[in-house]
Amino acid sequence: MKVTPRQYARSLYESLSDKKGPELKAVLGRFVRLIGERRELGKAVAIIEAFREIWESEEGELAAELVTARKLTAAGREVSAYLKDRTGAKEVDLRENVNPELIGGFILRYRDKVLDASLKNTLENLQNKLGS
Amino acid sequence: MSSTKDFIIEQLKQEISDYKSEITEKSVGKVLKIADGIALVSGLSEAMMSEILKFKTDTGEISGVVLNLEENQVGAIILGDYTAIKEGDEVSATKRILEVPVGEALVGRVVNPLGEPLDGQGKIEASKFYPIEKIAPGVITRAPVKEPVQTGVKAVDAMIPIGRGQRELIIGDRQLGKTALAIDTIINQKGQNMKCIYVAIGQKESKVAGIVSKLTEAGAMDYTTIVLAGASTPASLLYIAPYAGCAMAEYFLDKGEDVLIIYDDLSKHAVSYREISLLLRRPPGREAYPGDVFYLHSRLLERACKLNKDFGGGSITALPIIETQAGDLSAYIPTNVISITDGQIFLEPEMFYKGNRPAINAGLSVSRVGSSAQIKAMKKVAGKMRLEAAQYRELAAFAQFGSDLDPDTKRKLERGQRLYEIFKQDQYQPLSVSKQVVIYYALINGFLDDVPVEKVREFEAGLYEYADRNNVVLKAIETKKELDEGVEAGVKKLLGDYKETVDYLIK
Repeated sequence: MKVTPRQYARSLYESLSDKKGPELKAVLGRFVRLIGERRELGKAVAIIEAFREIWESEEGELAAELVTARKLTAAGREVSAYLKDRTGAKEVDLRENVNPELIGGFILRYRDKVLDASLKNTLENLQNKLGS
Repeated sequence: MSSTKDFIIEQLKQEISDYKSEITEKSVGKVLKIADGIALVSGLSEAMMSEILKFKTDTGEISGVVLNLEENQVGAIILGDYTAIKEGDEVSATKRILEVPVGEALVGRVVNPLGEPLDGQGKIEASKFYPIEKIAPGVITRAPVKEPVQTGVKAVDAMIPIGRGQRELIIGDRQLGKTALAIDTIINQKGQNMKCIYVAIGQKESKVAGIVSKLTEAGAMDYTTIVLAGASTPASLLYIAPYAGCAMAEYFLDKGEDVLIIYDDLSKHAVSYREISLLLRRPPGREAYPGDVFYLHSRLLERACKLNKDFGGGSITALPIIETQAGDLSAYIPTNVISITDGQIFLEPEMFYKGNRPAINAGLSVSRVGSSAQIKAMKKVAGKMRLEAAQYRELAAFAQFGSDLDPDTKRKLERGQRLYEIFKQDQYQPLSVSKQVVIYYALINGFLDDVPVEKVREFEAGLYEYADRNNVVLKAIETKKELDEGVEAGVKKLLGDYKETVDYLIK
């Protein structure tokens, strides 16, 4: 049977759940050897990606990206609070980027959601509405 | 006064803040794979079945429809030019099920399965949109089929009558006149209070152009919509075409009107669905069709119905067409659709090449519900006529030993030959029901027995012309709809008078 990267990542996460320090390292070593023996090291990148997703959803972590037109100072905390409230995540890992093309407002990205409240998007919508 | 002003300003502020909250979260995903009109998309964890997706490309937005929901990805068909979509493009969900414009604005137009005009007659201003997939009306809302659809084809109206709300399959090999039969039916709906929708699935565009010009010529485009998914359109559009056509029909159904919808043809529809299914990696079954190919057609044809008075009393009559390969009725798709529909009209090459056109095989063709929809006059003559036809078929094999037969058999053969002459009918020449009653009455009552077989058609044409001049009898049949003593006497007199005028009778 073929094992998907996600299934590998899930089993790795479960086998690591109660391990610490040297034990953890040993499990990781055995895991890599297993994948090597099964000649599926090529899937490593996909497994790491899936593992990150599983870890985040299980541990209540949330990666998010906030794009704004100018550098903001206090927005980060507010957005984090909003995301915690909305998704039930315990921790929010927020990356803040600046993109002047937005003109104003912000774009918030997390999981497969986008909250596009940029001025650029609003103007585009308005244009579409007026154009039709 | 100022309190009113304050109130208005307060309301205005409220409106403005509400407008801002219009910016909502969107589900987005990325294109993982795109090929052959099928896209695999990551993300979109809240996607719904048959939801519209928007693919953002360099050249603008392209729509797609969700067809597969998997754990980590979504399979979608692209409605449009899929070559513009690249791996990694952003896809957003719209939270809307695929829908098409419906309404009066579509009548007389040629549109694609998305309701966009193809006839160059400008934009279609539709006020309403209907979802293309809808659960068929339930038992409570339905009524039995009891009003006729006059196809104008003599053999059909007499032997295989179709009622409003029926699903009658037209089946046969290529080039036997399946589409011709359907088009004749559309042409004959003029003044019959019927909207028509012709759905061309995988047809040559030249053929459809021919049909459009024929319908325009006959004045039939005034009540007809053509949904065209030509042979060069991608499978995704072929697949949604009949559902889109049905959604357009349902608009008129909801208004309590009668609609005739023709699906030309469902074998190509099944083939396009097979293509999509295989590309979506669904497991193939018999003849490589997916497991749900029966449901594909049953859910479509179940939407044909006759609603009862409480629900508007409208109807959708469906005439699906199936093309068989070398007359093989027992292939997968033909058997499926035969079992779904309320009867079939079977066209046969032997009949066609013998010159019996329309090439309807009277033995294999049936109508399971239509006989209760015939008008009384037709029922009266068609009953006897069907008996004559059956007896002739039984004896037809002996026809070649003409001289050695007893007089009774001979008489039946003679009459059968004349009957089959009557069944012959030219294309685009639908015949009113009153004229059909007259000619069948003439046959079963022996008025044609002294007309030579090769002169029957000439006799027939002359009879109609004669009857048109003394319009009283035809009018009486049309208004009374039955053959009571007075009308019958009128028909007899008409036939007798007309026979006086012809000179080729056998003495």
